Amino acid sequence: MATDGEGTAGLYKDTLLAGLWRENPVFRLLLGMCPTLAVTAAVKPALTMGCCVIFVLVCSNIVVSLMRNLLRPHLRILMFTLTIATFVTIADLFLKAFQPEMSAALGPYVPLIIVNCIIICRAEACASKNALAISIIDAVGMGAGFTLTLCALAGVRELLATGKLFGASVMPDWFVPWAAMGMPVGAFVTLGLMLGLVNTITGKKD
Amino acid sequence: MDKVKYFFQQSWLLIVASFCFGLLIAVANAGWQGRILQNEEDKFNNLVVEMIPDANTSEVALENVEVESGKGKTRATSIRKALSADGQCVGWAFTCEGSGFADKIKLVLTVDAGFEKLKGYGVLSSNETPGFGDKIKDQFYRNQFVDAPTTELVLMKLGAPDVKDAEIVAISGATVSSEAVVTIVNTFLGQIKSHMQEKGQIGDGN
Repeated sequence: MATDGEGTAGLYKDTLLAGLWRENPVFRLLLGMCPTLAVTAAVKPALTMGCCVIFVLVCSNIVVSLMRNLLRPHLRILMFTLTIATFVTIADLFLKAFQPEMSAALGPYVPLIIVNCIIICRAEACASKNALAISIIDAVGMGAGFTLTLCALAGVRELLATGKLFGASVMPDWFVPWAAMGMPVGAFVTLGLMLGLVNTITGKKD
Repeated sequence: MDKVKYFFQQSWLLIVASFCFGLLIAVANAGWQGRILQNEEDKFNNLVVEMIPDANTSEVALENVEVESGKGKTRATSIRKALSADGQCVGWAFTCEGSGFADKIKLVLTVDAGFEKLKGYGVLSSNETPGFGDKIKDQFYRNQFVDAPTTELVLMKLGAPDVKDAEIVAISGATVSSEAVVTIVNTFLGQIKSHMQEKGQIGDGN
């Protein structure tokens, strides 16, 4: 029994860590590129977006996992979309009610979580085939991996574009902000350099 | 009958899920709608008080005023009367919107009690380019509209931004966004002024 317990704990740990590094949705699977490029001009909106994705991912994985035995194969994508759209709408309403500034800053990118590949990918690849616990852990791992990636990207961009982090000045007086880093070109350049760095660390050749 | 039975066999989960998810969204909406509307109202009022410091409260003077915004489109807006603590009219405020460089720009426009000079504008929502177009929120540009006449404004590439006249100096690197603000102001200001003169809310200038 102890071996079974250790095996289960190992599986949970492996699933959680997969989203953070080995199968990181942005750096390794290149999923969710739209918000990755669009909302990473500053850390605060990136963090808000990450939290919204974690909420939607966890809720949709719970629902999909619970109804996995009832799903008709030809209707499953429709059910996934319906489930995801519901929780995205709730997240959008929550932001409008309690974080109006962030809601305005993120603009259409919160409703666009509906078409975020990460969420539908996890519903299809994990939640529709696994029990509740593993589906939740997978959602937390993938969501956390996505959020950390967004924050890392946004941190570099905000720092270089404005000399600030979370709105507070952190760079010396002689620093000249690079406005381009806050623009789309900055997102592509930073993401490209980070992907190159991750590939170098992991020794990926192709 | 068999077809109906087959339909329900295949889609009962979809129907039940749609109902449940719809209910969930309705509950969230009912719970937070008041707060969302209050947030919008607060943002509007804060901008009005910022531009008309004497204003203590505001009341709707004219509702659903239709303004032609070009290309055969009309937009409805409500005109609010800003009142001082002793109930005197100290200005007028209304929302106006139009196309910007990246997305729709929504503004609050305020004018003095006689509808002769602008009190300024505030940005309710915009997704203009960070570092460039979003400078329409900066005081440098907004201050040029304070005390400007309520006649047709003209955008200039060069000029004296400190002089209070109908010439507005564009933001360097953001001509399209600068022009969008001037166009929105011109479109709404003229039509609303005429409408208010027709309704007898202000004098006809003679």
